[in-house]
Amino acid sequence: MSGPFLLRKFARCLLTLLLAVTFVFVVLRLSGDPVQRMLADDVPARVIESYRTMWGLDRPLPEQYLRYISQVVQGDFGVSFRDDRPVAAIIAERIPATLNLGLLAFGITLLIGIPGGIVAAMNRGRLVDRVVMGFTILGHSLPNFFLGILLILYFSMTLRLLPSSGIGTWQHMVMPAITLGTSFAGTVARFTRTAMLEVLNQPYMRTARAKGLGRTARVWRHALPNAAIPIVTVIGLRLGALVGGATVVETVFGYPGIGSLLVNAVAQRDLAVVQGVVLLIAFTMVLTNLIIDLAYGWLDPRIAMSGKETKA
Amino acid sequence: MSALDAHPPARRWFFRRHRPTAKAHQRPSLLVMICLLWLALVVFAAIFAGWLAPFGYTEQSLLNRLKPPAFLGGPAEHLLGTDGLGRDVLSRLFFALRTSILVALLGTGIGAVTGTVLGILAAHFRGWVDDIVMVLVDFQASVPFLIVALAVLAFFGNSFVLFVCIVGLFGWETYARLVRGLVLSVSGEGYAFAIGTLGVHPARIYLRHVLPNIAGVLVVQLTLNFPEIILLETSLSFLGLGIQPPGTSLGLALGEGRNYIATAWWIGLPAGVVIFLTTLSISLVGDWVRDALDPSLAQSE
Repeated sequence: MSGPFLLRKFARCLLTLLLAVTFVFVVLRLSGDPVQRMLADDVPARVIESYRTMWGLDRPLPEQYLRYISQVVQGDFGVSFRDDRPVAAIIAERIPATLNLGLLAFGITLLIGIPGGIVAAMNRGRLVDRVVMGFTILGHSLPNFFLGILLILYFSMTLRLLPSSGIGTWQHMVMPAITLGTSFAGTVARFTRTAMLEVLNQPYMRTARAKGLGRTARVWRHALPNAAIPIVTVIGLRLGALVGGATVVETVFGYPGIGSLLVNAVAQRDLAVVQGVVLLIAFTMVLTNLIIDLAYGWLDPRIAMSGKETKA
Repeated sequence: MSALDAHPPARRWFFRRHRPTAKAHQRPSLLVMICLLWLALVVFAAIFAGWLAPFGYTEQSLLNRLKPPAFLGGPAEHLLGTDGLGRDVLSRLFFALRTSILVALLGTGIGAVTGTVLGILAAHFRGWVDDIVMVLVDFQASVPFLIVALAVLAFFGNSFVLFVCIVGLFGWETYARLVRGLVLSVSGEGYAFAIGTLGVHPARIYLRHVLPNIAGVLVVQLTLNFPEIILLETSLSFLGLGIQPPGTSLGLALGEGRNYIATAWWIGLPAGVVIFLTTLSISLVGDWVRDALDPSLAQSE
């Protein structure tokens, strides 16, 4: 992989991160004086002043900005307005739960989406294709919070098989993971199908068939590797939606992860926690996009050689 | 082909129904007809909510709390039953529909116009304007929008106007990217250059000549964007961070019903069903419009 290619990618990532931090800083300052919000109305001006000095709010804005950036870089997101604990610690204790749920849901998405798309593409126009495509549209239209409620209604209320909320056993993971996982399986299946169809129409696929290669070898050795780039792109773009979806799904199932933490913090206007979570998510997204960009070079050596993105 | 011949007859292309390659897509299928019918019903119910609803949507009747729907043995005047405050679920559904459709329409409009204008600006001026727009596009695409929306709501508190603006910002980057690319390619064509040499103002070229030529693609993007906007609005309202009581929206209705899911499922479920059927219908109708507008898409997909 060529140097300039990597360098440009890194520069872009840093720029996006800086934008995210700046966005949070600007919005934070625009939204009003945090001291005023925190303290009661009858607090003497002297106390307010001392708080402002303590938090550096009396300094000029550029200085505050630089200070904010240096704090963020050091992992210091301030303290929660509600219980005075450091935001970093509050977030850290929620990460494992979200990571577990996210990975499980992502696995479900891939396990349903990619084989579904391949099968649909191989049987283009037949019944299987229509059924798969029908399900993708259904999945796209069914809001995940509604699916979650339907699952709770059936599996928790009617059958009494699975717990409706909480965390602890594997049973608690089943419904949230299915709700989150299936919501994007449809999109992945759709794009996998499109990418596969594109590849299946290429002359080299005809050649492979003409030289007597079996169906399995044609799909696995020739079609799938070439369809990989657009599929990976879409999965990468959709990861953000998965993160957004996680906030809703975690709330529906009362699952104590980053998403429900964010929703609660927003409802209580605990700004320190909100900005911490937003920055964490922005950082995760940028990192994921970087990994995907690097994966292009591995999936398609032409990109790494030329250092240019071919239009996928 | 000479430069002037390249001017595609925009209007004819836009309304043309007969394309030899798209025989199957000329007339809507039965499924699409049903979807169109449902959408017409939804729009009708949203417009005439005040006239259709048998009760006011905030009208409480504490003697009639949590009554099941009429077809499950509830009182006959409450077709879909009542909620925890004795309000008529059906009446609230009509008004929720009105709010959700209104927010989605406004949001779609704001996003489409913002994105289109920025896309045209980027393609027209190139240079640093282009750079700034594209960095913003990258930024918006890299951070999940629901998170940004939640953050803005947390920082600024909630109001209807702010909420509509937030919903409107969703998806602008897709329009911007799309329009920028289209304008760049259209500007390279002979007719745009020819009109430019006649001394026509650029704004007029874009409005009168370029926009009609890319309208088809924009309409396709609208049909893709609209269901997602509805889902965004309902998600935020469901979380209790969008439309605020005493107002109501489909998402909020489902969110309120969630607390009664074990005992009175009829409070939330109808709203969920309406969201589902509406987004499903728009998606299916959108597919049909897409095929009708651009048969080459139907072939490649």
